[in-house]
Amino acid sequence: MSTETSKKAAGRYGMTIDIDRCNGCGSCMVACAVENNVPPAESGATDRTGITWIRVFQIDNGGRGAEKRSAFIPMLCQHCGDAPCVSVCPQQAIDVNPVTGIVEQMPERCLGCRYCMVACPYHARYFNWWDPAWPAGMEKTLNPDVAPRMRGVVEKCNFCHGRWHAAKQAGTSDSLSAYVPACAEACPTRAIRFGNLDAPAADVALGSQDPDSFRLLESIDTDPKIYYRSKKKWVREAANAPRPGKETPRG
Amino acid sequence: MKPSRRSLFQFAGGAVAGALFTPAPWRLITDTALWSENWPGIPRPRRGEIRAKFTHCALCTAGCAVRARCVGEQPVSLAGVSGGLCPFGLAAHHLPYHPARLKQGSASEAAAEVARHGTQGIALLDLNPGRTASWAYRRTMQAINGTYLAEPEPFAVDLRGVKTLLSFGVPVLDGWGNPANVFAARGSFHLIQVEPIESSTGVLADEWIPVAPGHESVISQAILRSLQQGNPSGLARQLVDNGPSAVLGDLPEIPEINRLLGAYGKIVVARPEAPVPESWKKSAASVTRLADLPDNSVRVLLIDEASAVDYIPWHRIARKLVRENPLVVTFTATRGGYARYANHAIPAAVYPEILDDIAPPNDRIAASFRLSVPLVTPPAGMANLAEFAGALAGVQASNSLRERVGEIHRLGQGTLLTYADGKETPLRDLPGDDFWRALNAGGEWVGEPSRTDPPSLQPAPVPSAESTGDLPLVAIAQPHNPPGSPIMTKLYQESNLRLAPNRIALSPADARAAGVRNGGRAVLQTRLGKCGVEVTVDPAVPEGSVRVGASPGIQDVCGPAARAKVVSA
Amino acid sequence: MSFRGTIVFLAGVLAALGAGWAGFPRVINQTRTQPAAFNHQVHADKAASKCDDCHSFRGDGSFTGIPTLDKCAACHAAPLGATAAEKDFIEHYVTPQREPEWMVYARQPENVYFSHTTHVNRGHLKCERCHGNHGTTAALRPYQQDRISGYSRDIWGGGGRPAMTMDGCVACHRQEHREYSCLDCHK
Repeated sequence: MSTETSKKAAGRYGMTIDIDRCNGCGSCMVACAVENNVPPAESGATDRTGITWIRVFQIDNGGRGAEKRSAFIPMLCQHCGDAPCVSVCPQQAIDVNPVTGIVEQMPERCLGCRYCMVACPYHARYFNWWDPAWPAGMEKTLNPDVAPRMRGVVEKCNFCHGRWHAAKQAGTSDSLSAYVPACAEACPTRAIRFGNLDAPAADVALGSQDPDSFRLLESIDTDPKIYYRSKKKWVREAANAPRPGKETPRG
Repeated sequence: MKPSRRSLFQFAGGAVAGALFTPAPWRLITDTALWSENWPGIPRPRRGEIRAKFTHCALCTAGCAVRARCVGEQPVSLAGVSGGLCPFGLAAHHLPYHPARLKQGSASEAAAEVARHGTQGIALLDLNPGRTASWAYRRTMQAINGTYLAEPEPFAVDLRGVKTLLSFGVPVLDGWGNPANVFAARGSFHLIQVEPIESSTGVLADEWIPVAPGHESVISQAILRSLQQGNPSGLARQLVDNGPSAVLGDLPEIPEINRLLGAYGKIVVARPEAPVPESWKKSAASVTRLADLPDNSVRVLLIDEASAVDYIPWHRIARKLVRENPLVVTFTATRGGYARYANHAIPAAVYPEILDDIAPPNDRIAASFRLSVPLVTPPAGMANLAEFAGALAGVQASNSLRERVGEIHRLGQGTLLTYADGKETPLRDLPGDDFWRALNAGGEWVGEPSRTDPPSLQPAPVPSAESTGDLPLVAIAQPHNPPGSPIMTKLYQESNLRLAPNRIALSPADARAAGVRNGGRAVLQTRLGKCGVEVTVDPAVPEGSVRVGASPGIQDVCGPAARAKVVSA
Repeated sequence: MSFRGTIVFLAGVLAALGAGWAGFPRVINQTRTQPAAFNHQVHADKAASKCDDCHSFRGDGSFTGIPTLDKCAACHAAPLGATAAEKDFIEHYVTPQREPEWMVYARQPENVYFSHTTHVNRGHLKCERCHGNHGTTAALRPYQQDRISGYSRDIWGGGGRPAMTMDGCVACHRQEHREYSCLDCHK
């Protein structure tokens, strides 16, 4: 449906995440779950079967004693320019928005084959192994701008499309509406910034051009829109490592 | 003609072909898809007008200013006004619906039993001291000759004035203060974090110094000696040369170190309080610390646990109770705290259901007054300790907040900050009623900075950490966390970012020695007792130690630098 | 196939066509009555209401949809006319302060996002384009609810497509060259 359009892209939404500012508090993870109606975990869920559209991992430099230092890496859908998940979906439940660049996941089209989860090199996709269950009364706190999903479908970050809809509705121009996703709003250190990567003066555009910024798995040419930044050489090296090496991924 | 089987099939074939040209099969296919979207149990979020309400978060003394996004009257998400919120504050609007919430308990039965016991030897333990309700408790206790118990932390730190901050395990950058304040001031101080395991604060600190668990005193004593000898070296030298400096932590040497560094009265000051009516100060019992109370002296203990900002292990409280028939009544929102030991557990309302003020924070040196404003209605049957205790003594507690605000207004100092419009108004330009209304709409009063020396408190004794054969591990405690929404499984269960309250973390070698595996169940044993826990195996935990979660059950058996043993369940 | 076989086959076809077109809608749909017999025409004529007097936009662009009880009660605290419908409405809803549970013909599944302000204020579409002559009728059309899915059989008017399925939206969007991506209309 989206192939026939005469609209020129107004830009691309992207993020910069400053690893040197991330303290691993997890506010982004909680704010994301609140905004997007992600339910609390089933009792049998683990970190492999839970749903965390954004998840903060802890890595370290492999040192021992006083030499050992860690860093926190928030991981979420990278909204790749050339997304591997799009081409493998048998239902075309994944769509790249030509106007915003957001890689959109449609749980209502998904049949739950999880091929996209295999295809995603960032492990940023999550499957609803169970029907969502909110404690009695807590369903009153659901966000009306995001539809809850049923079991058997895959979901992932959509750059807070509910907030994007509200910004578009309140806005007047056709260019990319300014809004803040829940994770960026909640981050107490302002490590996560969001905006239009193609607007020259935007925070994220400048951040993406910072010499200390890098993208994950550059070598496989997915063209992600999340730019991480760190002045620490060992963090940049860990990001470019071809396989898990000296760093011990934890978290 | 008798219909043959062939004609039956021909008829059926025709029916199928014809049916394809009717809406029936297509409608049924669509309906199946639509029905699966209305799966029973998948709720439809409620619609309504989107409004913003302002309040302050009452989960801890940081009291962050909160903007609640509400659908109609119901908050559906929270955000910080001047910066981010901590993960607990972000989901606090779920707390009224927490499955572990206490809903049953009769205040009248408890009142009757208190009346039968009489008020001799009565004490009230306030786990969130410094509020207006705390003054009501103190006045009540004075009126009936009871004791007011609290563990005050009467100092505040001026983060904007400090240049070097040495922290012994204090979570400065994750949970100690108001995140917006701390990170706004972050650029101005050099942070040295000393702790056994690199915490969130350690990751972002300018220097991280690992120390063997239980041996932090070695460093603090060395610094103290170095300063006392007048020839500082090492860390002491750094603190002296790059001042103004201050040290945070609860080791016994720290108050004296801060005094020698000249931090008192400048960087570390007495925590300022908003003005209080003189009549209250005259009729209020003094604050008694638990450790200063004689053992076996309390016959009736009332506990305000509802908005607790800390948890005191039960054994420290139990030893103060008389041996014969003590009566413990706790006002709480959860079944998991002192309700496990109390004679009566009375359900109380939680944030964001009640109107209450927030105790002064530890990271600002200007006096402030902020209200936590109700965003939702509490369920029926909730009780209030201020009124319960006030009834025993004839103290009218229900109008205290209004009286307090009246006193602040009468003195006319300071400024009112309102978040809806971002304005700052000097208090003397505001009529009293407008001031009260503005505070109820989420505004904040800020007074003058304090530069008074903090009171000197006898530091709590720290148990020694020598190894004992049968308790080989040193326990590393987690800092206390506010109550969390069920959504906190994101951080505890669906990721490994934080240690869940009922979990412990062991190094791989210690886990093997104890015979426990990652995700398995175990029993944590100390000389104080046992507690069932779940295990995380984490190579970052130093061998010979065990990192323990902050659940009341674990805290009851573990104190600072406790010795422990882990066995499989 | 023999002549008789063809007749039997055609008989099957006709039976299915009859059952499918005439019988099936009666079986699959369940007629339900609205809480009150609302008369749009009377309100448009006598009260001089335009559509957006009751169905308005808020400051942030959101649409109020069907008005809540306070809008009705503002005028109908006491009977303004002599109809039984109004009397029933006041007795069952206004006096006991109970919200009427209107059944919305245009109700969409939860995952659909439709912005009225985008279509009305920026797209300059008239209400009648999708809602037909709803605003000038004297009685609300019977609400026929699909027994399986729970949605209404029709949206009331709208260019030959009685039900507001996705095809209806897509057809117009294609025509206006405004179709971009799934999340534009889904949430």
